[in-house]
Amino acid sequence: MGEFFFNIDHGYLEALIRGFKGGILTQSDYANLVQCETLEDLKLHIQSTDYGNFLANEPGAITVGVIDERLKEKLVTEFTHLRNNALEPLATFLDYITYAYMIDNIVLLITGTLHQRPIAELISKCHPLGSFEQMEAIHIASTPAELYNAVLVDTPLANYFVDCINEQDLDEMNVEIIRNTLYKAYIEDFYKFCENLGGKTAEVMCEILAFEADRRAIIITINSFDTELSKDDREKLYPRCGKLYPEGLVGLARADDYEQVKQVCEWYGDYKALFEGTGPNPGDKTLEDKFFEHEVKLNVHSYLHQFHFGVFYAFIKLKEQEMRNVIWIAECISQRHRSKIDNYIPIL
Amino acid sequence: MDQYGTAPSPAEHPGIFRSEEMCLAQLYIQSEAAYGCVAELGELGLVQFRDLNPDISAFQRKYVKEVRRCDEMERKLRFLEREIKKDQVPMLDTGENPDVPQPREMIDLEATFEKLENELREVNQNEETLKKNFNELTELKHILRKTQTFFEEAGTEGMAPPETAHDAETLELTSVPTGSMFANFGLPIVFCCASTPNVNCFCFLQHEELQVEALLPLEVTRDLHAPDTPALIMQLRFVAGVIQRERLPAFERLLWRVCRGNVFLRQSDIDDVIQDAVTGESVNKTVFIIFFQGDQLKTKVKKICEGFRATLYPCPDTPQERREMSIGVMTRIEDLKTVLGQTQDHRHRVLVAASKNVRMWLTKVRKIKSIYHTLNLFNIDVTQKCLIAECWCPVNELERIKMSLKRGTEDSGSQVPSILHRMETSENPPTYHKTNKFTRGFQEIVDAYGMATYREINPAPYTMITFPFLFAVMFGDMGHGTVMLLAGLFFILKEKQLEAARIRDEIFNTFFNGRYVIFLMGAFSIYTGFIYNDIFSKSINLFGSSWRNTYGADFFQEHLTYEEQEKPFMLVPEKGFDSPGGPYPFGLDPVWNLAESNKLSFLNSMKMKASVILGITQMAFGLMLSLYNHRYFKSDLDIKWMFIPQALFLGCIFVYLCLQIIAKWLFFTAEANTVFGYDYPGSNCAPSLLIGLINMFMQKSRDKGFEGPTCYLNFWYPGQSFFEFIFLAVAICCVPVMLFAKPYLMWKEDQLRRGRGHAHLAPVELILLVVALVQVPLMLFAKPYLLWRRQKGYQPQIDQPGTSGGFQQSVRADMNGEDVEVVQHADEPPKENGASHGGGHGHGDGPLDMGDVMVYQAIHTIEFVLGCVSHTASYLRLWALSLAHAQLSDVLWTMVFRHAFGFDGYLGAFITYALFFVFFFLSVGILVLMEGLSAFLHALRLHWVEFQSKFYGGHGYPFAPFSFEKILQEEREAEEQA
Repeated sequence: MGEFFFNIDHGYLEALIRGFKGGILTQSDYANLVQCETLEDLKLHIQSTDYGNFLANEPGAITVGVIDERLKEKLVTEFTHLRNNALEPLATFLDYITYAYMIDNIVLLITGTLHQRPIAELISKCHPLGSFEQMEAIHIASTPAELYNAVLVDTPLANYFVDCINEQDLDEMNVEIIRNTLYKAYIEDFYKFCENLGGKTAEVMCEILAFEADRRAIIITINSFDTELSKDDREKLYPRCGKLYPEGLVGLARADDYEQVKQVCEWYGDYKALFEGTGPNPGDKTLEDKFFEHEVKLNVHSYLHQFHFGVFYAFIKLKEQEMRNVIWIAECISQRHRSKIDNYIPIL
Repeated sequence: MDQYGTAPSPAEHPGIFRSEEMCLAQLYIQSEAAYGCVAELGELGLVQFRDLNPDISAFQRKYVKEVRRCDEMERKLRFLEREIKKDQVPMLDTGENPDVPQPREMIDLEATFEKLENELREVNQNEETLKKNFNELTELKHILRKTQTFFEEAGTEGMAPPETAHDAETLELTSVPTGSMFANFGLPIVFCCASTPNVNCFCFLQHEELQVEALLPLEVTRDLHAPDTPALIMQLRFVAGVIQRERLPAFERLLWRVCRGNVFLRQSDIDDVIQDAVTGESVNKTVFIIFFQGDQLKTKVKKICEGFRATLYPCPDTPQERREMSIGVMTRIEDLKTVLGQTQDHRHRVLVAASKNVRMWLTKVRKIKSIYHTLNLFNIDVTQKCLIAECWCPVNELERIKMSLKRGTEDSGSQVPSILHRMETSENPPTYHKTNKFTRGFQEIVDAYGMATYREINPAPYTMITFPFLFAVMFGDMGHGTVMLLAGLFFILKEKQLEAARIRDEIFNTFFNGRYVIFLMGAFSIYTGFIYNDIFSKSINLFGSSWRNTYGADFFQEHLTYEEQEKPFMLVPEKGFDSPGGPYPFGLDPVWNLAESNKLSFLNSMKMKASVILGITQMAFGLMLSLYNHRYFKSDLDIKWMFIPQALFLGCIFVYLCLQIIAKWLFFTAEANTVFGYDYPGSNCAPSLLIGLINMFMQKSRDKGFEGPTCYLNFWYPGQSFFEFIFLAVAICCVPVMLFAKPYLMWKEDQLRRGRGHAHLAPVELILLVVALVQVPLMLFAKPYLLWRRQKGYQPQIDQPGTSGGFQQSVRADMNGEDVEVVQHADEPPKENGASHGGGHGHGDGPLDMGDVMVYQAIHTIEFVLGCVSHTASYLRLWALSLAHAQLSDVLWTMVFRHAFGFDGYLGAFITYALFFVFFFLSVGILVLMEGLSAFLHALRLHWVEFQSKFYGGHGYPFAPFSFEKILQEEREAEEQA
C-alpha cells in the first residue's frame, strides 16, 4: 500500500535524487579525466559535466585539497536540500545516513586529540555531513565514560555508545574498538529501522546493509591478525545483520589467517566471487576494491526499483565513491603517478 | 507559388515559403588572420561551424590555453561584480556592444583585471583585519560593560535574587542552591546567600587585591557579616568571553555536565549586532562570565570555550582597572573607526571606478572566449600556417560572409586572403528560416511541432492567416475581440520600452513574445464577431433586419386571450422574410438573437457546416502543398502514386460533401420550388446530407425526387446514384494504390539499380511481386529473405571507395604545401529512409529496407484514409468551441449584468456601476483569457495535426549560427537565473 501514497510525500525528492543520479560521471567522463595532464585540464573537463562551474571561482592554482573541499561542499548542499524538504519517515532515514559520518568524525577527533593535534586542524578534516554541535568539545574527554556523559549523551549516537563505556582508557586500540562497536550498533539499528519501514525500502536497504555488515566483519577479521585483539573481543565487533550471521560469523571468529577467512566466505555465493580474482600480485585487484565494486553494483541496482528510500542512501554512497575516484585521479595527476591512475572504481 | 516547385535554383527565391538554401563550405584561413575572421563572422552571425575534431577532448585542443585565460579573466570579473554588488554600487550597463578586442589587447585586459583584483583583495584583507580588531574591541567593550553590571548588581543589591526566569534557569543549571553574592567593594566583605538556613552555599570574599575568593560552604546564619569569619578561603576565578547566541544553550549544558555543576555562569545578550569580519553576515552574540575554582576546572572550561568557538578576553578584576581599560578600549575603537572608514572609502572608490567598465569588459571577455572556442573546432593543417574550417552557411549570404572574411583578413594584416569554397555533400543541411519580429511568433508555433526538413514548404506564412482565423472562428465576438486586439496593440506600441525593461516573468514573456499573434487573433475575432453578429452576446442591427413582423399589434389584442399572448409566436419564413430587400448583407441577421427557441438550432446548423467546409478546405490546401513539395524534390513517384490517389480520395468523398453543402444552401429555400428538375415542396424535404453521406457509403437504393414521407432522404439531383457509386469506387480503389504502388515501384527501381548482376533472380522477383501486391501478411516472411539477400548483394560494394554509403569523404588541400589529404569521417546515421519526403529516395544511399518502407507506407496510408474522416470530424471543434463561447458570454450577460437594468434611479446607477465591474472582470478573466487560451490550443492542434500532417515532414534540425549576439544573450540569461 505504501507505494500508492509514496509520491504524495516523497515523490518530489525521489525525482530530485534520480536527477542528481543522472549527473553522476559516466565511463566516458572518466576516460577523459584520466587523460588529463594537469589539474587545470581536470577542471576544464569537469566543467562540461554535471559539476558545472563548481571550481570556476577558485583564485590561483587549484590543488587536490580544494577539489576535495568543493566536491564535499556540493554533496552537502544537495544533501541539506533533500533533508530540509524531507518528511517523515524519510527525514529519519536521511538522519541515519549522517550517523555514519558522525561516528567517523568522533573517532577522527579522538585519535587526533591522542596525537596532540590542535582541534581547529582536526575540525577542518571532519566530514561536514557528520558534524554536530558538541563535536568540537570532544577533546575534553579522556575516558569513554566521560566522552559519553559529557558529549555524546545528547547526540543520536548515545544509544550506540552504551556498549563502549566500560573501556578503560582512550588509546589507539580502544578507539578502534569504539569505532567498530559504534558501527556495529549503528548498522544493526539502521537495519532494524529499514526492516520496520517495510516494502521496497526494506528489500533494497537490507540487501545493502547486510553487505555492509558482512564487509565490516570480514575486514575486521583480516585486520585483526597479528594484533592484540583477542578472538572473543573480535567476535563482539561483528555486526549481526548480514548474510554471514550466524554461521559465517562463528567461522570468522575462529579464523586465524586469510586462507581461513576465504574458506568461510566460500560458502556464500556473493562473497566467493569477490575473493576470487584478488591476490597479492601486482595487477590484481585488492579485496577492498572488490568490495567497493560490489557496493557500487548494489547501489546502482537500487535505482531499478521505484518508491523506496534506498535510492537516497545509494546516491550518497555513489557520490562518495565518485568523489574518491575524482580525488584519486586528481592525486595521481598532481603527483605524476600515472601508472595507477586507472585504479578508480567505475560507476556503471 | 508555382516557381518554387519547378526550379530549385536558389538565388531567385528568397522569402519565407521555404527555408534558406544552405551550403557546406570550407574555409582556409591564415592562422594569424583566424582570430579576426572569426570575430567578423561572429558579429555577422550567419555561419554554423562544424566540429572537425570530435574525438579530441576539450583540454587537448589547440586554443585551450587562451580559453583558460578567458576563464580566469571571467572569474576575476565575477569577483569584481560580486564585490560591486556587495557595496551596492550601481553598475553602468548601457547594453552597448564593444568590438572584439585584438588578441594582443587581451594581455592589457588581463593586466588591468589582475591589478584591480589584487588591489581589491588587499583592501579586503586590510578591512578584514581591521574589522576583526574592531569586533574584538567591541566585544571587549561589551564584556567590560556587562560584567560591570554583574558585579554591580551583586554589590548594590546585596543578595541578588534571580530577577528573571532566565536567571533562575542559569542558577539552577549551575546548581547554586539559592542565590549568589558578589562582593565588589574595596573592603573585604563577605556576603552570604541564604534564604533558608542550614544550606550549603558559596560565599564570595573579595580582598583588597580583588582576587576573587570564596569561602567554603558554610553553615549559614543570617547574621554572617563579620569579615573575619574563620573559613577556608579558596581561590575563585573567572573567565569572561563572548559566544554566539544560538550556541549558548548547548554550551551551558555541556559546561554543567563536564564540571558537574561546579561552575557558575552569568550571561547577558549584546544588543548590538556584530558583523562577521569574513563573511559580512551579522551575528548575535552573548557575553558570559564563568566562575569556577581550581586549575583542573580551568583547563576544562577553557577547552569547552575553545570547542564552542567562544572568544575569551582578559578582564581585570578591579572596577578601577576595568574602567581604565574601558576608556582605553573606547579610544582605540574610535581610532579604528576612522581607519576603517578610510579603508572603506578607498574600496568604494576602486569599485566605483571598476563599475563603469565591468559590464563592457565582461562582454569583451565573453566574445574572446567564444572566438577561441570556435577556433578549437577548426582543423590545423600540417604546416601549422593555416586553419581549415567547415561551416554551413546560407547561399544567399555568401557574399556578405566573403566580405566579412576579407575585412577580418585585412584588419589582422595578413598577406594571404582567406578562401571560402563550397563543398558538395550528401548530408542534410540545417534548416534556416529567416524571421522578423512579426513572423517569429508564427514560425515558433510551427517549429514547436518539429523543425522543417531542409527546403520543404514552410507552413508558417500560411499559418499567419489561418491560425488567427481558425482561432477567431472559435472565439468570434466583437467585444472580446476588441479587448484582445487592444492588449496586442498595447504590447506592440510599447514594444521598445517593454523590451528594455527586461521583465523576467515567464507568463508575461509568453504573452509579450506572442504579441503579433494576439493582435491578429483579436482582429480576426472582431471580423468573425461581425459574421456571427455577436458583441458580448448581443447583436447589432446595422443594416436593418430582413425579417419583418407579420403580426400587427391589433392581431394580439383582437384575436387572443391574455394567456395565449404569452406563448411564443413563430415568424413564418414565407411571410416574415422580406425577400425583395434580399438577405441581411453581412453576417447573421440580428433578428435571430431574439428567437429564443430556435436560435441555437439555426446557429448550430450554420456553424457546423461552416466548420466542415473550412476544415476540408484547409486539408485540401495542405494536400496541394504536398504536391509542391513533391515537385520541388522532383519526386515523380510521390506525385503519381501518393498525391493523385490522395487527392482523388479526398475529392471524391469530402470535397463532394462540401459541394453538397453549398448546393443545399444555394438551392433549397423555404418556399416550394423546382430544384434540378424535381418538384420541391418545401423546407421539410430539403435533403439530409449526413444521412445522405452514410447512404452513399452503403449504396442504398432510394427514390428520386421529393416524394413520399421520407422525402429528405431521397436522391435530389439527377444521376446522383451513378455519381456516388463512381465516387465511392474511385475512393476505395485509391486506398490500395496508396498502400502498395509506391513501395512496389521503389522496390523495383532498387532491383534494377543493383540487381543487374542478379539476373537469374528474376523468377524470385516475380514471386515477390505477387506476394507484395496480394498478401500483406506475407511481408513478414519476405523480410528475412530480403535481409539475407541484401547482405549477399551488398558485400561487393563496400570495397569501392567513393560509393560506400556510410562514409563521406572530403579532400582537404593545403594552401602552401602540395600535400592533399583525404579525410574520411563516419557519416551520421541516415536520418530518413527513402520513403520520406525530403530524401530523394532511390538515388542511392544504402540498400532499400523493404520491411521499413512497407510499414512506413502502411502507417502513412492508414493515417491519411482514417485521418480524412477523423480530421473532418475534428474540425467540428470549431463549431463546438464557438457554441461554448457564445453560450458562456450569454450566461454572463443574463446572469450578471442584466440584473442591473431592473433598477431605476440612483440605485440603478449604482448597481449598474458595480455590476459592470463584475461583468467586465469576469468577461476578461474567463472569456478572453481562459476561453482564449482554450481556443488557442485548439487552433494549435488543428494546425499541427490536421493541417500539417498532410504535407509536413519536420525531420530537419535547426541552423545554429555562431553569433556573438546569441552567445551574449544566453550568458546573460544564465547569469540572471543564477
